[in-house]
Amino acid sequence: MSLAAMFRMEVRRLRVQPLAWVLLALSLAWLGWCFTRLLGDFLAGEIKRAALPDSPGYVDLVAVPLLGQLAQLAFLVVPLLAMSTLAGERRNGTLPLLFAAGLPASRIVLGKYFALLLWLLLWLALTLAMPLSLAHATTPDWGKLAAATLGMALMLAALAALTVAASAFTTHPAIAAVLGLLIGLALWTVNLGAQMAGLNDGAINWLAMSTHEQNLLRGLVSTADILWFVLLIAVCLALATRRLAADKERG
Amino acid sequence: MTAAQAAALPVLQLEQVARRRAGRVAVQDLGLALAPGQVLGLLGVNGAGKSTTLAMIAGALRPDSGAIRLNGEDFLEQPELARRLIGWLPERAPVWPELTVTEHLDAHGRLRGLRGAELRAAREAIVARLELQPLARRLAGALSQGQRQRLGLACALLHRPALLVLDEPANALDPVQVGALRKLIREQAKAGTAVILSTHVLVEVTAVCDRVAILHEGRLRYEGPVRGDDHAALERRFFEIAMQARAA
Repeated sequence: MSLAAMFRMEVRRLRVQPLAWVLLALSLAWLGWCFTRLLGDFLAGEIKRAALPDSPGYVDLVAVPLLGQLAQLAFLVVPLLAMSTLAGERRNGTLPLLFAAGLPASRIVLGKYFALLLWLLLWLALTLAMPLSLAHATTPDWGKLAAATLGMALMLAALAALTVAASAFTTHPAIAAVLGLLIGLALWTVNLGAQMAGLNDGAINWLAMSTHEQNLLRGLVSTADILWFVLLIAVCLALATRRLAADKERG
Repeated sequence: MTAAQAAALPVLQLEQVARRRAGRVAVQDLGLALAPGQVLGLLGVNGAGKSTTLAMIAGALRPDSGAIRLNGEDFLEQPELARRLIGWLPERAPVWPELTVTEHLDAHGRLRGLRGAELRAAREAIVARLELQPLARRLAGALSQGQRQRLGLACALLHRPALLVLDEPANALDPVQVGALRKLIREQAKAGTAVILSTHVLVEVTAVCDRVAILHEGRLRYEGPVRGDDHAALERRFFEIAMQARAA
């Protein structure tokens, strides 16, 4: 029950935050422009592709690249949106109010995380609405689109969990945002050197978020990739919970 | 536990509670008990340990050692007891600036387990009682400190707690509001709510409290009844304790 109360309060707070709406509006405007550009390129090359067997389709050339653009924006948008989740509570002095309501740290973290996730899934849904609005005029590869959507949802959830954890360790939301951005980028590019050296296997590639995300964006759904995201989310939320519980102990 | 036994229990019982903060002793060997309908004033100079004591009673801070019992039950083992039994107004009444006064009350009510019609009725009653109607749609972040204090008080009272914990409740209130606050505290006590309030202002204690506890350097130095007409005696005792401790 208290988890639902926490979730509801956080949704309400996100709903009235100008930053959340500004980020949504700006990012969707950018994605809308990207969509029209991708669609224009897709239509321009339609005759050439008709002559080729197994040529890439609407999902490969429009929907997935659009989700790729969303992934790039997510590195900036998610930390900005999630930076205040716990750091803001600490700065306002409202964290003790939540402890005093008998809420365990885990419910505070989960309530806030799920509210954030709801906003991010809305962002993903609005982005997907663009390619889906023309789906009736083409024959999309639904399986590939579903895999890419799953990949994006997992990536957004992982970046949100990362920033929530960063937010649990500081009083300043800006520091939480920078930490979220840096750790997110580090996780994405950790295997860059290995790839440049031609290594496409090994622990360093497994560690990189890009390895798992790109598989899903290509339409390859594997339990290992999903588990990687789930593991990252679980570790981040556990760290945030632990830090918050320590706050109550330390005062 | 029989009904008679339950009625005889103090609402709040502190046994040898101790807590260190920022590397120094904030509260040490503190023992207190509070019966239903009693109003206890917690006096002390700055840094005496009043706010730490109240934060521990409210469940916002865990003691390092000792026991806190609410209606006879171990509060440290069951922190969820705070949800329905305690109403807390912290010092400086922190708020969520993005929420309106009404949303604030609803959020607090839900966190304290109120739902639907019960929540609406409780909210309307407390808004009327504390005359918050003109502020109902105002964002909490835009309220003055005095208005925040009233909102914090409304949040503390919303779920009709058995124990009301007020940290410097008269902060930033004008004299009319201070009078209304005293009346409210007496009303709550008459209805059976135990109240513990901390203050620097001695007259606050003689005006509303049945008992007084004086803390100094984290220790309980005095506890006894308050007689409304004996302000001078209380003042003498308070300064004696503060000066003795300083000399020592």
